[in-house]
Amino acid sequence: MSLLTLRRNFFNVHVITTTKIYRENCLRWYIGDLASYDFIPKKYRHLSATNKFTMFCEKAVELIRELHRMGDGQLPAFNEDGIRQVLEEMKALYEQNQTDVNEAKTEGKSELIPSIKFRHSCLLRNQRCIAAYLYDRLLRIRALRWEYGSVLPTTIRFHMCAEEMEWFNQYKKSLATYMRSIGGEEGLDITQDMKPPKSLYIEVRCLKDHGEFEIDDGTVILLKKNSQHFLPRWKCEQLIRQGVLEHVIS
Amino acid sequence: MFVTDIRKEFYDVVVNQRVALFVSPDIDALCACKVLQALFHCDQVQYTLVPVAGWQDLGTAFMEHKDLYINCSNVDLLETLQPEEDSVFFICDTHRPVDVVNVYNDTQIKLLIKQDDDLGVPSYDDIFRDDEEDEEEGEDSGNESDGSAEPSGKRRRYDECVCVCRREILFDYEQYEFHGTSAALVMFELAWVMSKDTKDMLWWSVIGVTDQWVHDKIPHMKYVTDIATLQRHVSRHNHRNEDEENSLSIDCMRITFEYDLRLVLYQHWSLYESICNSCYTSCSFKLWSINGQKKLQEFLADMGLPLKQVRQKFNSMDMAIKENLREVIEESANKFSMKDIRVQTFAVHFGFKNRFLASDVVHAAAALLENVEKDETPADNFIKALDCLSRSNLERLHLGIDLAKRKLKAIQQTVASCICTNLILSQGPFLYCHLLEGTPDVKLFSKPLALTLLCKYLLKAFVCSTRNKRCKILPLIMAAPLDVEKGTVIVLGIPPESETSDKKNFFGRAFEKAAESTSSRTLHDHFDTSVIELKMEDRGKFLDALITLLS
Repeated sequence: MSLLTLRRNFFNVHVITTTKIYRENCLRWYIGDLASYDFIPKKYRHLSATNKFTMFCEKAVELIRELHRMGDGQLPAFNEDGIRQVLEEMKALYEQNQTDVNEAKTEGKSELIPSIKFRHSCLLRNQRCIAAYLYDRLLRIRALRWEYGSVLPTTIRFHMCAEEMEWFNQYKKSLATYMRSIGGEEGLDITQDMKPPKSLYIEVRCLKDHGEFEIDDGTVILLKKNSQHFLPRWKCEQLIRQGVLEHVIS
Repeated sequence: MFVTDIRKEFYDVVVNQRVALFVSPDIDALCACKVLQALFHCDQVQYTLVPVAGWQDLGTAFMEHKDLYINCSNVDLLETLQPEEDSVFFICDTHRPVDVVNVYNDTQIKLLIKQDDDLGVPSYDDIFRDDEEDEEEGEDSGNESDGSAEPSGKRRRYDECVCVCRREILFDYEQYEFHGTSAALVMFELAWVMSKDTKDMLWWSVIGVTDQWVHDKIPHMKYVTDIATLQRHVSRHNHRNEDEENSLSIDCMRITFEYDLRLVLYQHWSLYESICNSCYTSCSFKLWSINGQKKLQEFLADMGLPLKQVRQKFNSMDMAIKENLREVIEESANKFSMKDIRVQTFAVHFGFKNRFLASDVVHAAAALLENVEKDETPADNFIKALDCLSRSNLERLHLGIDLAKRKLKAIQQTVASCICTNLILSQGPFLYCHLLEGTPDVKLFSKPLALTLLCKYLLKAFVCSTRNKRCKILPLIMAAPLDVEKGTVIVLGIPPESETSDKKNFFGRAFEKAAESTSSRTLHDHFDTSVIELKMEDRGKFLDALITLLS
């Protein structure tokens, strides 16, 4: 890809510029590959001062990549650090922009304008990335309510930050209110039977020792490994999802 | 108490409650369990299925599950388990004799056993007279405080006489252990009475009956009678569906009555291997000797089957040979004095590839049930064997068939080595054979079903090969190492080999008595009383006690 198209795609700015900072940033990406090499041309040696070539918005993209790597439905730990770094970067960019804008206005240096525009688009990109990260996490948390029920396992709860917990509680409440409002007096639990059931009772086999289990009419069953039971479907669904029971299809 | 109307007294009671099913590790019990499970699924009866391997297992399982019980074993349950007043047990078992306490208990124990089996239960008066007599005696002696010594003396002798009689009657009744009608057949008839029987259930009851015949639990006459009963059901099911207009799709299950060869697994193996590893043919030819091998070659030549064909997998044999195979083999077999090479059995057929004889499935399920590979607990094996009986688990069934082939080869080799090295010793009233620890595949024989097959095969081979007329009518006791670390052996006794034997086994009581008299450390944990575990060191004195007991 030529430097020109790279610029156009990445920064969404249509003016060919030759500003130093702009050139430097492109080169940073270009030279990023050279970071592994020993020899760096004199001109760009100052860029290798910290031996780490970073572009703007790279941290934000890393957050997205991390979320993308974890498969469907899994919630990785909340990357507090990453978000903080992105926000710091945004703050730095914003401050630089502020000073430049003031300079441009007072001293009329119109050649600063492209770099201002560039920093502005970096800020917007960071904002988009963070918003996407947070929103995707919320969608996954919402799916967890449907999968695990109202009580989440402790491992997952550790992965959520305080605000996400708050959001989850609110979501639970509104779902519960909705379920109570439909289906007559008792309400209807729509989180059961996600797929249309074929029978009222199913045969299940115990995969691990789970101890005692109480069913609707009060009787207590001992779920020991390798015992088979014929139980009502709605009671078993939770345990099947958790992997304690296995549905036996004969 | 015997249940007369199985539908009203058993099924209608059970339908509204939760049930705990205790199933012993035995193919017949597995089949009965499958039939019952299918019925329960139909009527949505909630149940819990627990495999129990012996008395100890039954005790622990009983502690854990408190519901209505259906069971597969036969000794006085009330004594061993001490249940509460309101728990009811339904027992469907093939072990006979039925314990007298179970028979005469009206409330808590119900027996799902056909009463036309020759049960010979002694009448109530003969056994339970003591209590009344004791009471009377107590009253009388109370009244006759200064009564003469004579009348009370007489009465005492009479009471003693009654006690002795009772013991004798009980001893006669419980002396011989044998098997009755297959539990799977009983369950199938229940399903039939309720018009809920399906071809799957019929197939399972066929497997149950065939299991009794394969493991030599019932005499041949009984097997033939049971097969005739099943044949009626099979023809009823077949007539229902096949018409000129609507013929069944090839994927539907078809059960057919066959007068097929007695060669084990021959359709899933090569004909040659099957002939070498089947008990009947191997013993008739005496394949452990060189003469025997020659005879086998003659037999094959007589039938005109080229060796190359015969050693191939059965499915790849030439069609021309396969077509008349059964008749050809029967003809030649008659010349070599094997009159019963064909036996009445059933085959199931579904899809284009899948055709199984009942005995194939029995061997596969037995091999899976007693799989001795590492990391396989008995409960795991039970589940796998239960799974392989359903039509949808064909890979399990094929795995079982492979395991069965290995088991049969191991049996054949062990028998050959035992006969050739004269490992069977005559101890007087019985024959005795001890498998040493270093024997190849000896781990396979630490399980009761496999050891039973080995025993029967060995006895038959011995009877064919020995010239000593007296030894031919002796029973056989076999010991194999069970657990090397604990130093235990598993000991099994089978009745003598004869054409018209009624398969009654007296070793259960004999073992108990011998263990008592020598205070050997034994474990009578199996539901089959003729199988026990014994410490290696006590073997000698145990055997001596048995010899004195039985001679």
